[in-house]
Amino acid sequence: MTQGDGIPETRTASPGNRLKTPDHRPASSAFGWSRPTAAIAAALLAALAAVAYILHIQGHPALALSIVFGAIFGVVLQRSRFCFFCMFRDWYDKDDPRGLFGLLVALATGIAGYTLIFGAWLPDAATGRLPPDAFIGPVSVALVAAGFAFGAGMAISGSCVSAHLYRLGEGSPTAPFALLGTVAGFILGFATWNNIYLAAVADAPVLWLPQTLGYAGALIATLVVLAVIAWALSRTSRTVALSSSPASNFPVALLVTRWPAWIGGAIIGALGTVAYFRIAPLGVTAEIGSRARQVASGLGVAPPRLEGLDTLRGCISVAGDALFSRNGAFILALVVASFAAALAAGQFAPAWPRPAQIVRGFAGGILLGWGAMTGLGCTVGTLLSGIMAGALSGWVFAAAVFIGIAVKLSAGRHTGLLPRP
Amino acid sequence: MRLKSIVASALVALGVAAAPATAQDAKSPLVTTEWLEKNLNDPKLRILEVSVEPGLYERGHIPGAQNVVWTTDLVDKLERDIAKPETFQALVKKLGINSDSTVVLYGDNNNWFAAWGAWVFDVYGVKNVKLLDGGRKKWEADKRPFDTRAVSLEPGNIKITERNTKLRARLADVVDASRSKNAVIVDIRSPDEFSGKIFAPPGSQELSVRAGHVPGAINVPWGKAVAEDGTFKSKEDLKKLYADAGIDGSKPIITYCRIGERSSHTWFLLTKILGYDVKNYDGSWTEYGNTVGVPVVNTAGTVWGVK
Repeated sequence: MTQGDGIPETRTASPGNRLKTPDHRPASSAFGWSRPTAAIAAALLAALAAVAYILHIQGHPALALSIVFGAIFGVVLQRSRFCFFCMFRDWYDKDDPRGLFGLLVALATGIAGYTLIFGAWLPDAATGRLPPDAFIGPVSVALVAAGFAFGAGMAISGSCVSAHLYRLGEGSPTAPFALLGTVAGFILGFATWNNIYLAAVADAPVLWLPQTLGYAGALIATLVVLAVIAWALSRTSRTVALSSSPASNFPVALLVTRWPAWIGGAIIGALGTVAYFRIAPLGVTAEIGSRARQVASGLGVAPPRLEGLDTLRGCISVAGDALFSRNGAFILALVVASFAAALAAGQFAPAWPRPAQIVRGFAGGILLGWGAMTGLGCTVGTLLSGIMAGALSGWVFAAAVFIGIAVKLSAGRHTGLLPRP
Repeated sequence: MRLKSIVASALVALGVAAAPATAQDAKSPLVTTEWLEKNLNDPKLRILEVSVEPGLYERGHIPGAQNVVWTTDLVDKLERDIAKPETFQALVKKLGINSDSTVVLYGDNNNWFAAWGAWVFDVYGVKNVKLLDGGRKKWEADKRPFDTRAVSLEPGNIKITERNTKLRARLADVVDASRSKNAVIVDIRSPDEFSGKIFAPPGSQELSVRAGHVPGAINVPWGKAVAEDGTFKSKEDLKKLYADAGIDGSKPIITYCRIGERSSHTWFLLTKILGYDVKNYDGSWTEYGNTVGVPVVNTAGTVWGVK
């Protein structure tokens, strides 16, 4: 975490440091000091479950499932600190690859799951059709620029959009401004979209790996690439213990200690698969995008017609009329569940924002929003769900994002604008 | 009526009525969800889903149904036209349709595109094409099962015919009918589209530069023909609905909407349920309202989007 975020040590430390588990009491008192907070957390999760149940029996099963998936995602993000920026920075600054290993596990799990679904939905990958709703976008200069901007936005604001959402549940003073900035960035993205689309996106190729390599070929090739990345990471990293063997006290391991990144990754990969199967690929910016578009339309700053976009379904959907869209329900459940998880862990630490946090949150957020809009998704949609779906656009966005973080961190620290590790 | 249902129940109880497609069903252009569920295993049945929302079919369809994508399977990708004969022939072969098959179409949005599909099938002379009354919505509301597996069938042997031009109105037919009154023109869009107050429903991509309607057209919004649960109203109710609007089948009819899909829904009921002589104008308002030199009626007074 960029230290200016004001998040307590237990929440900001890299995985290595965090394994000195936070200042919890011995096993017998694990719930002792946190009984009220644990009770509130349990009540919140029960409330989410009740809302989902009511929606289900009222005939809105998709909305109910979105709440369940959002809650699971929120808990896993918070408990495993699944934050794209922190993962990269831990490796970049501290040679600690565990976070990135977690991401690789998520991708490998998700790719295997997606391949199973694709085989049922589109028995022949070579027909020219693309699987419905998957994040398979055009590969263009615009995508590279979007990824770079998104990466830089992460470096400035301290995390990506999904992590800001779960940090909102932790009481982060930066997250609200980063999310406001994201909305502003989306509006900027709408304002620039038509020119960018016509210049770079309209004719860009949409490359779906199974279409050229077949399902087996794409699966094997991707797993090999992930293995090579894992090997390269382990070669460039220091040796760190992969497990803190927390099983001696299960409640503490579950509720207080950070989950190992690879466990979080495996759950997210599985969740990505079932979410794609039943509702839509994981993504956190559709609702933000459609709300931003409502604001932009109200202010008259975005063109009423976004070329090529209004017919694309995916992360950036048509401005939603519904008060409570599936993605909106997903996001809401994510924030509530991460708040519950943070409460139970004693990691809910609201703080007043400092001016620097406001400025960096908002400025970084603008880049996040512009990048997510122009890249047709963020690190969860375009990168995670995209790579799981076998989209080349996911890989290109990932490369651009991580280069964006590295360049911005290096430049920011060099000029003294971003704190050094 | 009551006696009939008692006899029918008795027959079902005795297992006599277990044979697929009773005589009554064979004549009807519609099948009920109940009938379809009972006949899912009939080897002569081909079920096709034609939905607009992508991912719906894949995430769960009626067991044994195959996916037909209206934007690529049923239309020509380059010309604004229905699928070319060779494309359509390849499609029905791939779908395993034989000359003795019963084809049941269903979809989302009240069967709009399923009805559009039924119209295209009829244009190419495919017989025994029916709609699932109420479509996906009714199947789901009845809590009937969905399946996610894809179906594979032996290629079908049906040979399609020349396009039946009697089922399709072109721009010239509409202009002629408007002037000569030799056919009744039914505009099935919303009253606000009909009056010219709005150019298209919200979110529509395809627009026309003029709003309003074809001179002489009668406005009967498609939704008036369906019950709360999405099924068609009874034959008697439908007959009355259109008769009250001055449409009794004594003259040929032309239906249109914005791009031709909602009007297929009305085309289907007027042709198949009421037995009238109907052409669907698939060019619809996006063609008519953009055509230079044809008159429009715009009671709302909008011109080029302003008053």
